[in-house]
Amino acid sequence: MGSGILLSANPGSSLEWMIFLAQKYSGLFIEGTLNTLYVAVTGTIAGFLLGYLIGIIEDIKLNKEDHIFKKVFIWILKGISWIYVELFRGTPMIVQGMILYYGLLQADVKIASVTAGILVTVLNTGAYMSETVRAGIKSVEGGQREGALALGMSPMKAMFQVILPQAFKNIIPEMANMFLTNLKMTSVLNVIGVSELFMMAKTAGGTYYKYFESYLVIALIYLVLCFIFNRLFILLEKATAGKKDYVLAVEYMENQ
Amino acid sequence: MSREYIISIEELSKSFGNHEVLRKIDFSVERGEVICIVGSSGSGKSTLLRCINRLEHQTSGKVLYHGREVRDVQKEVNEYRSKVGMVFQSFNLFNNMSVLQNCMAGTRKVLHLSRQEAFARAIEHLKQVGMAPFINAYPSQLSGGQKQRVAIARALCMNPEVLLFDEPTSALDPEMVGDVLNVMKELALTGLTMIIVTHEMGFARDVSTRTIFMDKGYIAEDDTPARLFTNPKNPRTREFLSRFMAG
Repeated sequence: MGSGILLSANPGSSLEWMIFLAQKYSGLFIEGTLNTLYVAVTGTIAGFLLGYLIGIIEDIKLNKEDHIFKKVFIWILKGISWIYVELFRGTPMIVQGMILYYGLLQADVKIASVTAGILVTVLNTGAYMSETVRAGIKSVEGGQREGALALGMSPMKAMFQVILPQAFKNIIPEMANMFLTNLKMTSVLNVIGVSELFMMAKTAGGTYYKYFESYLVIALIYLVLCFIFNRLFILLEKATAGKKDYVLAVEYMENQ
Repeated sequence: MSREYIISIEELSKSFGNHEVLRKIDFSVERGEVICIVGSSGSGKSTLLRCINRLEHQTSGKVLYHGREVRDVQKEVNEYRSKVGMVFQSFNLFNNMSVLQNCMAGTRKVLHLSRQEAFARAIEHLKQVGMAPFINAYPSQLSGGQKQRVAIARALCMNPEVLLFDEPTSALDPEMVGDVLNVMKELALTGLTMIIVTHEMGFARDVSTRTIFMDKGYIAEDDTPARLFTNPKNPRTREFLSRFMAG
């Protein structure tokens, strides 16, 4: 605590206050950062999976001669997906958080605010991601699917073997976007008591009435986090881009 | 006595909205036949082929496989397609897979062959089309002619009973057309049953055992290439051929 050389007893300028707050409340800020990361990372990953699921459901095509049960089942799935996406894209995340958290409380369901926060992030991400996945699937040229079907692959096999791997590559930039948005959107979850960065800044700034400096501290933390994760996504993009050249298999060269 | 047909088309019609693309098409394919379907653009050749492969659905009529109607039930269609291969004008090699993976995708994921078996088949057929040295390459690194030869190898790996070709050389540079046609000519000599939609009249004349001329959704003429090319009965065929031969 008091070991910091920069920690002055009487901070004057805003910069000094920032350093003072950051050191005095380092525990809060670190906890806030970890919570923000926890909610954003788990929420986004699960949200991506949900988005892929919904995107794939939306892409299912029925054959005229399919069994009636299959048709009804798919229609219901598509109906549920449609309603879900409309609901969650049509309302603000902060409102979704409130409704979910207090709704569950009223129904006597005990839920930790972090869990509720993650749930809201998942549902919100899933709704947006489903549209991104749908666009990603559309971005893969139709011949790829036909090529797979012509080999006798089922539409689902074609999806998982051929289309999704290509769609995934195409939507990495959009996935990065969504993750960074989520990282910042976790800040609204303070309204349901998730102790993420925003809430910590409020607490830290309150004692000395130094909100400006306190929020500057977390702005810096958000900025650094976004910078790091953006780099990670660029690495992922490069890793999936494939190599430029290839090795000739000389063992199969004919005597020419 | 009825002959053994692999594929029979019965009164097949297809419309896109008000536009009739195929009108009551009838023909059957016997084992070992090499059928070339020729005709001007928009005559319905490709749609016919796509109906045979179930990528397109007819408005009326039937496609029979060994005398049984092919219904549009996913499982049956998958099974049927694994025996009736298709080579596309735009190759449709999987961009996310290497040449080798492309040739093993069907045998591994559809036929569930062991890795060794699938690999052996892939190499065998890639050698056949002269593309074995390129197993590590990705489609984006190949020329059009190379891609098409890989696509043919990929289809052959399934050991198809019939192989459908949808204008396989139409998207190629002229100098690469010959390579692909040579591969197809060799395939014809092995006795593989093939239905080929093509604009290559020389190829149709020299390689096919039967040539079908399509015009405005009808089969205008269905005969041996010797008769169809030298002495066409239908005036439309004559007109089409004279335009083609004049260049």
